[in-house]
Amino acid sequence: MWLVLCHSGDVAALWLYNGLRQRGLKPLQLVSAEVLACSRLWEHRLAAGHTTVDITLHDGRAIHGDGLRGVVNRLVAVPMDLWRRASPADRAYVLQELTAFYVSWLMALPCPVLNRPSPLGLAGAWRHQSHWVWLAARAGLRTPDYIQSSQNPIDRPGALRRRSPPPKVKTVLVIGDRVVGGQPPGALLAGCLELARVSGSGILGVDFADGPDGEWTFVGATPLPDLRLGGEAALDALMIALHRERRESL
Amino acid sequence: MILLCGIPSEPPLALVREALAELNACSVAFNQRCFADMRLSFEIAAGIAGGELSMNGATFRLQDFTGAYLRIMDDRFLPELKGQPPDSPARLSCRALHDTLLQWSDVAHGNIVNRCSPMASNSSKPFQAQLIRRHGFDMPETLITNDPDLVDDFLARHHRIIYKSISGVRSIVRTFDKDDAQRVDLIRWCPVQFQEFIEGENVRVHVVGSRVFATRVVSEATDYRYAHEQVGQAAQLQPLSLPDDMAERCVELTAGLGLSFAGIDLKLSPENRCICFEVNPSPGFSYFEAHTGQPIARAVAEYLIQVTD
Repeated sequence: MWLVLCHSGDVAALWLYNGLRQRGLKPLQLVSAEVLACSRLWEHRLAAGHTTVDITLHDGRAIHGDGLRGVVNRLVAVPMDLWRRASPADRAYVLQELTAFYVSWLMALPCPVLNRPSPLGLAGAWRHQSHWVWLAARAGLRTPDYIQSSQNPIDRPGALRRRSPPPKVKTVLVIGDRVVGGQPPGALLAGCLELARVSGSGILGVDFADGPDGEWTFVGATPLPDLRLGGEAALDALMIALHRERRESL
Repeated sequence: MILLCGIPSEPPLALVREALAELNACSVAFNQRCFADMRLSFEIAAGIAGGELSMNGATFRLQDFTGAYLRIMDDRFLPELKGQPPDSPARLSCRALHDTLLQWSDVAHGNIVNRCSPMASNSSKPFQAQLIRRHGFDMPETLITNDPDLVDDFLARHHRIIYKSISGVRSIVRTFDKDDAQRVDLIRWCPVQFQEFIEGENVRVHVVGSRVFATRVVSEATDYRYAHEQVGQAAQLQPLSLPDDMAERCVELTAGLGLSFAGIDLKLSPENRCICFEVNPSPGFSYFEAHTGQPIARAVAEYLIQVTD
């Protein structure tokens, strides 16, 4: 079975679910975070030689980790609707416990998972803008000077912290070992792939500013890009990435 | 120059400061409790981070700090913020300062003990266990479930099991007993982590760079940190020499998690299993140093001042 995990309002996930179905990926299931949160059974076992994940959804559908062939993971957070009447302290504790649990079972799946979770984010590491700029420079991309101060009003978006707001943003998608969308200059391809590698992202959206000098400057990156920006090429790349061989057991 | 971040009187930070002084190394305290008098800014140009830290009328260039030890307490609980509402200017300002410090730690040059992002693996114990397993350590059989029947089966199989938090929230490890069996239905609301209880010797290993300090912990308690409450007697600590291959694995595990300093919790079973429970990225090592005389603070200080490329 193939699986798309997403939140119920994730239109980009619905688009890719339909696109993957049209490409013959079956059986393919879409499970929303909201449905997952109401699962009837969770069974996650870890031992020296093996790890298993078994989930029974409230409608009776079963997800067996060993039976999965590939997962597109677009989970951002664990829905907490079931806990809305709990005290704030209990809710905060449960959120931490469930998030830690999700990170583990998503990590334990033996099939390709795009993206694998990180303790910094269920669908891959959510890094601070400063960290992305630093990583992008190390990956060989042209980066803007970045400045941050403890005196910045903390409710402002990160973009205001950049010295030169970009005039126009183009998004390039890295999916597996392919770069699609945005039509970047050829010299940028290696840098985008390297940024995905050093950030541990199977899927990465990389934003660039196309400056007046024609040079593309890194603006930001996300492990949860809108894959529609890559069109059919993104779906083709996703098909290839999902069909990679099962990784070695952790 | 070394930056020491935290509360200066807190034992681990105080010990490292003393050790640096003994080594004639200059250190500067980033005292969390003085957040109102501090300003921190950093910039990144062509991948190189610089910036300034201002406090008490003095300004330091961040690039002059060749090392930093971050032993940060949760800033929400600083005494200076007691009674402040969540969105008070003081709280927001304090948070912004700490955010900036932690974000700088991820991009700073030099010996940073430890950088912020790699410390996150400890926020999910079973996730971290999967990373630990790659380094050749055994692990206890673990079940995370919301099904009471599975817990019954797990107990029947192992005879004695414990339960503890899944996340990094500090919890007391407890043996699952009759009282717990009475209320086990409550797990239907939220999956809980259970593990087989393993007989054996508790060992805490502190790794600093490539140096290893192992301590045997003698206690009958399920969680030796709470030995006095659980068995009426404090744990006894003794220095221990690990076999070379085990020490090497501890060093590799620490580096593999992106850490330069870690507290590794092991159990050595009578069947020669070497079980690793977790890796603490900000170990409170002073307790172990005080009882064994192991020079852990000195090792941290020497790591901080060592010259890097």
